[in-house]
Amino acid sequence: MPELIAPIAGNVWKILVAVGDKVELDDELVILEALKMETPIYCDDAGTVTEIKVKEGDAVNEDDVLIVID
Amino acid sequence: METDWSKVIEVFSSGIIGVFLVMILLQLLTQLSTRIIDFVENWNKSETTEPAPKK
Amino acid sequence: MFNILKELIYSSGAVSLSGGNLVMWLVSFVLLYLAIKKQYEPLLLLPIAFGILVVNLPLTFLMEPEHGLIWFFYHYGIEMDIIPPLIFLGLGAMIDFGPLIANPKTLLLGAGAQAGLYVTFFAAILFGFDLQEAGSIAIIGGADGPTTIYLTSKLAPHLLGATAVSAYAYMALVPIIQPPMMKLLTTEHERKIVMSKLRPVSRLQKVCFPIVTAMTIMLVVPPAAPLISMLMLGNLFKESGVVERLTNASANELMNVVTIFLGLSIGATMTATTFLNPKVLFIFFLGLFAFIVSTGAGLLMAKFMNLFLKDKINPLIGAAGVSAVPMAARCVHKVGSEANRRNYLLMHAMGPNVAGVIGTVVAAAILLKNLG
Repeated sequence: MPELIAPIAGNVWKILVAVGDKVELDDELVILEALKMETPIYCDDAGTVTEIKVKEGDAVNEDDVLIVID
Repeated sequence: METDWSKVIEVFSSGIIGVFLVMILLQLLTQLSTRIIDFVENWNKSETTEPAPKK
Repeated sequence: MFNILKELIYSSGAVSLSGGNLVMWLVSFVLLYLAIKKQYEPLLLLPIAFGILVVNLPLTFLMEPEHGLIWFFYHYGIEMDIIPPLIFLGLGAMIDFGPLIANPKTLLLGAGAQAGLYVTFFAAILFGFDLQEAGSIAIIGGADGPTTIYLTSKLAPHLLGATAVSAYAYMALVPIIQPPMMKLLTTEHERKIVMSKLRPVSRLQKVCFPIVTAMTIMLVVPPAAPLISMLMLGNLFKESGVVERLTNASANELMNVVTIFLGLSIGATMTATTFLNPKVLFIFFLGLFAFIVSTGAGLLMAKFMNLFLKDKINPLIGAAGVSAVPMAARCVHKVGSEANRRNYLLMHAMGPNVAGVIGTVVAAAILLKNLG
């Protein structure tokens, strides 16, 4: 089951998908905020979002799982 | 005012060389201290985790 | 009755106004606009702009030696070198040297960008500035406000307004100045390089770093002591984790307080007579040149290092070797993600970025030693 992991540490600024959404390769799923800059995180696989592990405003570390995709 | 070109060259070259020397020295010391700390921390870790398997 | 009125008019500042004052008002209004409307470094530009305005109202004597209010701020804060080191204390309490400790090679990138500063030194001499003035102008390329102010106040105090304002202005303009240079000196392929993950850095390593760095730099270049000791003390406050109150005081209250006095004093050095002079205005061009050359030098240094490295670095992070923290790192990240949207260079760029702060201080100290 592919997971979307945080490539950098930061705060979750916006989550652009919901559980059950179908996502494509390169879709923007989450926007992280680090050093006052918004960094969009793109989807690596196509599939369906089965779980969102974070909520907006959460602080995440590098390598934390953000979203699980089936 | 007449420019003292030998002084200019001196400031220019000693500046560039100086900055690089200091930064390289700092790099080596940072690497060295990182290695030492890694070593010590790994050693401490192995010492604290070693008794566990004996149980 | 008439005489009283005449007296009042003559003692008012309005009759003593010069054309130069009016031009400086305009400069002040432009800076106020940039600070308030465009939010370019408003924390500094706002007090600077207001300082310019009030000092160009005649007969107020705010900068009159031994009498004026702002003169006291200037004399005790800047001439006596108190404020820039205090700003560095706060900066140290905010900076995370983690990315630098994880990848110490980035220290060389911080040095690379400083090479550009010496090119500017050369250029300024060619344009007829004396050695001390040239040193103060060159340091603008380091893109570090407090260091620029510190060095200029020692070498060429009459240029303080111009060098300080151009340093802060160009720091705010990083996202406009740097990308063209980045694209010019790197290939699409190089910008796409994804760097391997940074190794984790333990707390002990973060605690040791400021101590080792402070000792090393002060032993080798003692003139760097005021700035580097405060920077590393602030960082030690932060990383030790046991003096949270001191960390917060340095990074917030103290920093904010001295920023007010710094901005106001810098602005107040810019009277019409000292500022409106072609030589001083030319500093803005040389400052821009310094900034561009330093960015280029950082990029070239990164490309040079790649010739020897097995694990290639993305040369863009060299541009972050100028110390504008964290503007330059953000800019690198943005340009990198434009080339490859899965490229997250932010933390990799923070390494050379904070190394640039150290590098600029070292460069300033060496200039001070040779020219002071």
